[in-house]
Amino acid sequence: MAFIQNFPFFSIIISLFSGAISSILNGRAARVLNRIVIIVVAVLSAVTLFYTWGTGTSYVFWMGHFPAPFGNEIRAGVLEAGMAVFFCLVMLLSLWGGREHLEEEIEGSKQNYYYILTNLLLCSLLALLYTNDLFTAYVFVEINTISACGLIMIRQNGRTIEAAVRYMIMSLLGSGMLLMGLCMLYDLTGHLLMSNIQEAVAILHASGEYKIPLTVTIGLMTVGLAIKSALFPFHTWVPDAYGYSTASSAAILSSLVSKGYIFLLIKIIYRVIGFETFHDTKIVNVLFVFGLAGMIFGSLSAIKEDDIRRMIAFSSVAQIGYIYMGIGMGTRAGMVAAIFHIFSHAATKALLFIAGVGLTDASGDNVRFIPLTGAAYRNKIAGVAFAAGSLSMVGMPLLSGFISKLLFAQAAVQNQGKLLPALIVLALSTILNAIYFIKTVIRIYTPVQSDFAGRRIKTQVLFAVSSVLLVVLNLYLGCMSQFLVDLIEKGLGMFA
Amino acid sequence: MSKVLMLAAILLPIIGSIPLFLFKWQNRRAMRVYLEILVCMTSFLVWYLLLKGSAEPFTVVYFTGNLAIELKIDGLSTMFAGLVSVLWPFATLYSFEYMQHEPRERSFFLFYTMTYGVTLGIALSGNLLTMYFFYELLTLVTVPLVMQTLTREAILASRKYMYYSLGGAAFAFIGLIFVIIYGSSMDFVYGGVLELEKIGSRTNLLLLIYVFSFCGFGVKATLWPFDSWLPHASVAPTPVTALLHAVAVVKSGAFAVIRMTYYSYGTDFLRGTWAQDVVMTLTIITIVYGCSRAVKETHLKRRLAYSTVSNLSYILFGASLMTPAGLLGALTHILFHAFMKICSFFCVGAVMSKTGKSYVHEIDGFGKKMPAVFACFTISALALIGVPGMAGFISKWYLASAAVSADNPLAYAGVAALLLSALLTAIYMLTLVVRAYFPGKDFDYAAIERVQDPGVCMWVPLVFFVVVIMIFGLRSQTVIGFLSEIAAGRY
Amino acid sequence: MIFISILIPVFTGLILLLSPEWKNRKLLCAFTTAALLLSVSAVGITLSVTGDKEAVTLFNLTQSLPILFKIDGVGRFFAVLTGAVWVLAAIYSFVYMGHEQKEKCYYGFYLLSYAVLIGLDFSGNLITFYLFYELMSLLTLPLVLHSETKEATMAGLKYLFFSLAGAYMVLFGLFILNRFGNTLTFTAGGVLDLTLIQGKEGLLLAAAFLMLLGFGVKAGMFPLHAWLPTAHPVAPAPASGVLSGIIVKCGILGVVRTVYYLFGVGFLRGTWVQQVWLVLILLTVLLGSMMAYREKVLKKRLAYSTVSQVAYILFGLAMMQPGSFVGAFLHIGAHAFMKCGLFLIAGVIIFKTGRTKVDELAGIGREMPVTMVCYTLLSLSLIGIPPFAGFVSKWYLGMGSVLAEAPVFDVLGPAVLLVSALLTAGYLLPLSIRGFLPGEETAGIKVEKQEPSMLMLVPILILTILITIGGLFPDQIIEFVSRIVGTLFKEVLGG
Repeated sequence: MAFIQNFPFFSIIISLFSGAISSILNGRAARVLNRIVIIVVAVLSAVTLFYTWGTGTSYVFWMGHFPAPFGNEIRAGVLEAGMAVFFCLVMLLSLWGGREHLEEEIEGSKQNYYYILTNLLLCSLLALLYTNDLFTAYVFVEINTISACGLIMIRQNGRTIEAAVRYMIMSLLGSGMLLMGLCMLYDLTGHLLMSNIQEAVAILHASGEYKIPLTVTIGLMTVGLAIKSALFPFHTWVPDAYGYSTASSAAILSSLVSKGYIFLLIKIIYRVIGFETFHDTKIVNVLFVFGLAGMIFGSLSAIKEDDIRRMIAFSSVAQIGYIYMGIGMGTRAGMVAAIFHIFSHAATKALLFIAGVGLTDASGDNVRFIPLTGAAYRNKIAGVAFAAGSLSMVGMPLLSGFISKLLFAQAAVQNQGKLLPALIVLALSTILNAIYFIKTVIRIYTPVQSDFAGRRIKTQVLFAVSSVLLVVLNLYLGCMSQFLVDLIEKGLGMFA
Repeated sequence: MSKVLMLAAILLPIIGSIPLFLFKWQNRRAMRVYLEILVCMTSFLVWYLLLKGSAEPFTVVYFTGNLAIELKIDGLSTMFAGLVSVLWPFATLYSFEYMQHEPRERSFFLFYTMTYGVTLGIALSGNLLTMYFFYELLTLVTVPLVMQTLTREAILASRKYMYYSLGGAAFAFIGLIFVIIYGSSMDFVYGGVLELEKIGSRTNLLLLIYVFSFCGFGVKATLWPFDSWLPHASVAPTPVTALLHAVAVVKSGAFAVIRMTYYSYGTDFLRGTWAQDVVMTLTIITIVYGCSRAVKETHLKRRLAYSTVSNLSYILFGASLMTPAGLLGALTHILFHAFMKICSFFCVGAVMSKTGKSYVHEIDGFGKKMPAVFACFTISALALIGVPGMAGFISKWYLASAAVSADNPLAYAGVAALLLSALLTAIYMLTLVVRAYFPGKDFDYAAIERVQDPGVCMWVPLVFFVVVIMIFGLRSQTVIGFLSEIAAGRY
Repeated sequence: MIFISILIPVFTGLILLLSPEWKNRKLLCAFTTAALLLSVSAVGITLSVTGDKEAVTLFNLTQSLPILFKIDGVGRFFAVLTGAVWVLAAIYSFVYMGHEQKEKCYYGFYLLSYAVLIGLDFSGNLITFYLFYELMSLLTLPLVLHSETKEATMAGLKYLFFSLAGAYMVLFGLFILNRFGNTLTFTAGGVLDLTLIQGKEGLLLAAAFLMLLGFGVKAGMFPLHAWLPTAHPVAPAPASGVLSGIIVKCGILGVVRTVYYLFGVGFLRGTWVQQVWLVLILLTVLLGSMMAYREKVLKKRLAYSTVSQVAYILFGLAMMQPGSFVGAFLHIGAHAFMKCGLFLIAGVIIFKTGRTKVDELAGIGREMPVTMVCYTLLSLSLIGIPPFAGFVSKWYLGMGSVLAEAPVFDVLGPAVLLVSALLTAGYLLPLSIRGFLPGEETAGIKVEKQEPSMLMLVPILILTILITIGGLFPDQIIEFVSRIVGTLFKEVLGG
């Protein structure tokens, strides 16, 4: 076994322990440690990516060399590694971009907490990506939930607490359902390890036994994860949680956390239930319908919103709808599109949240639209970044959003039954996206005499760098998507 | 070498306009000279490329797999790029004088010049994806131009324009996907790229999608019921309404429709289907609808905008005939209408910029005071109506004879619509002329004493356009011969 | 030569329009006279030197659309008529226009209109015809608009839009003919390609009907006649004279070209097109007369009379018989002179007395006896009383239609014509009667002689004399027309 194969495990462990260490460091040191950890994890994951890309297969890593069912297994393929690299990148950029804000909004003594939570979040995300054990997954889902809650609540005002509680309740509901599903699955199959369950489920499915319990199980797990990833109509917690927490948190939550759950769901579909079985349960159709509904209603709510942060949050609901539509397509192409959209949406949404903060900063911390008029002239980088993000969301060619749209549409065309609804909703939702995003872009580019000009004009270097990098990331995904698409294809191939 | 030059022609105005944004340009004269040189250079470059003939396609960048941004010069692009590159230097010249008293001149010229590059991009696109890309880009760079005055009205208009355009593009996008899936390639090939064995029994689906994309691109070409952005967008400065909303932007829509119909789906697949009937009906409705609205409208520019709505549907109607003759009519009208409409818009713009009047009832007696402008306006009006001997008649002639020989009952209705619309055109254009020349017996000329013809920057383009209209009206064989080569797919 | 005769009035007209205001009125009049005479003589020379077969192509609009000139019998007839009326009305205007503004403009457009009319007469194919037809609508518009009152503007626009609507109906036919005809060149007997029209007869008939309606607009045919009574009276008197005398005849010329030279009599005779058309014409005849009868304003009354009289001509053409065709052509000439003369007289009355309504004109005969004698004679001719030209033409019209083999219409037509003639008498003669015999009340009042100046009187006199001569010695003209008929009705006459 090559040394490199240890890397996924290392990265989980490093982030876990750095979290623990951060608790005794002061804010500044914790921050430095956190950055180092993220970068190290990114490098480790990148190496893993190259390794798996080179070998062309995934591998299973036994923790402590105990074979299953006694030991715990980690499984790494190109998709997992690629996603890990990407998550690290986005997280790093989100933290950089929102740093100024973060230090202002969080009490000095609590700043190291923030980094503890971030490290834990990273750890749990990585674990969700890599784990081959359903129960481990559940454990890290909970860790993830708790740290996410912390990230919301750490900016202390009434609203965030309320938001956090909401988030907590909904999340726990989701986790509960996931747990129930998990128990039933254990009951049915007697396994917790994904590969083992898959074999058992395949036998059950083939024999036709326990048909209804199996469906219920799959349903429970799917719905649980759907709630956690804010699929319409379980999205009510989203606008508060994303809208009132600090910018970095919002960016991380919407770009990464919900994506982690979706990735877990995809993994369950492929690795636990088996794609065929899942497809036969018709739950795909349910996901498809709710995905479509999410695309429309998320956007509609966003149009009504007068608060830029909450508007972006609602837009996330719509974008999650896209992803579920892709999954619900029930085809390989749809899945590729959905996973690509996970990447593209993560890059874009982080960009939007960061840029949005830049804009509100330049308007005296006002999140309403009227004071935002002309904000792009007061904070030029934020303006350009926001415009780029918006255009990507609308699906302008050269930006990542266009490729997702292209992939979704191509996937839809290959699916006879879902073709027309998918395409029409896709077109409609593009229009709706255009309505609220472009409205905002026009608003921020409308010149106006403003008295906010002086505030925080030292335009943080980090903010600028992270915005620009996110824009570049978007452009990269938009112009040279072939690599990523290949990666996804390859990764999905390794799943099976 | 000339492959790269294609890209250069597109990028030159886009990149060349960036200095406008970077520097303060205290010396306005220097800025103008710079701009005019920039625009002229681009036009020369374009003409050099066009005259040199069709070069190999040039792939700029690959998106995914085989989806590439690709530039190519074929007959249709020669026509459109040639047209645009003739108009732009003159329009720029005109805008120098027009924008003299308007605020934010710099940002105007920045986007105005960028639009040139993007329009060329649409013209030179070698495949559907590239065209779609530039098409979306066109929306973006022209929105600030609509917003130019920053009044509430302008902002609302620009939003509306944006929503309509992007929405249209979203539906056109569906069509794009289908061509990717069911076509042999995305390149523009005269006669279409669809592969019948791939389609199998899904003909009706594909036709539905064709209607979607026709309407989608039709939004920019102001197809009813997606036309209302154009009259609203006429709050923009006149050079914008004249060049962009009578030529560059709206004709891009028509151009895209033609590309889609003749070069992607292919007319053999579409002719005689219900899809053809649907789109043709829409164009016929638009022809009449646009004219009727123009008659009702009292704001000068909005009236002309509605006239554009109707005239663009002439083009779409020609395209929807789906015969080479129909395409010839459409192309001829693209070319001729460009000159006619830009001329009349510039006249109205001269009135608005020199006197501040913008309503029909305010131009009484101006014919005496602005003789040059109204002489030009009268000629462009007559041409638009389709008086024989003027450019408009020739294009209408080709449209109508194509329609008559198409052997489609609906096409006869189209001919009737063309004629009805000619009558309505006469009503809304000639009432202006009559008002300007015959203000009434007791008209007090002293009240408009200060009204006078505009300066040289304005009338040079006007005279040029008038001359072109006349020449096309009397001696069009060369042009028509060239266009019919294109329409037959031979070039 | 043809070009020169068209270009002379065009250039002189343009010189007038573009030149600055002329100080010297006399010079202006002299210039116009010279220009007009020059053009008329050019036309005359052209007529005498150009043979019927010669066709001249000016240039091609598109590959298949030549602008082509050809002079045939019909063209000659109209050209001569136009020239005569134009010169007479011009002489008259030199005095009449003295009290109007913007004379220069008026003469400019007057000359241009002449050029266009000549072009129209000489057109060798439909596209050329259409070109000049549209130009005519546009260029005569300023004549209607001349007084620049609100009323004139509205009337002018109404005139324009009706004309254009008509022109576009024609254009529709043009498109269809271009598809289904061998050529667009006027050819006696029609141009339809019988192999192409197989199964498309309905479409072609509809196109023919539209073309007839379209040209009917200019000729004031019901139901698109409404512009005529509005537009003709508001123009200056000489302009109304030529409008009513000549311009409406261009509609007739169009109808002749359509029926006899494009679709061909053989194709149209006996179809629903002919029947519907005839019904419309007869309605127009009655309607025009009745409206004229009710109208109080003299010029409007004359305009309605034009509606009715021109419908006579249309009737003659619509019967599609040699006899009625001759009648129609005679009436074209006769009506041109009569109506022009009547309008000029109405102009004289307005010019001298300022009175416009018929009721105000009691005793007018004693104020301007020569004028009113002319009026009476012209009226009698218009009613159709021998020995004037009006009688000859109506005689041929009536005879032709009685001989025609069109059921119902061969009886109904003459009957309607007679009724209308009665009405004509009813609306024209009261003016003469009251003018000369004002009755008891005004008997004592001393009246001033208000005879107009010679320049005004002479054209009127000439017109009256022409009418009388035409009525007494119509043989020459009839012979000329018969020659045209000979080319058109080969199958009828030969067979």
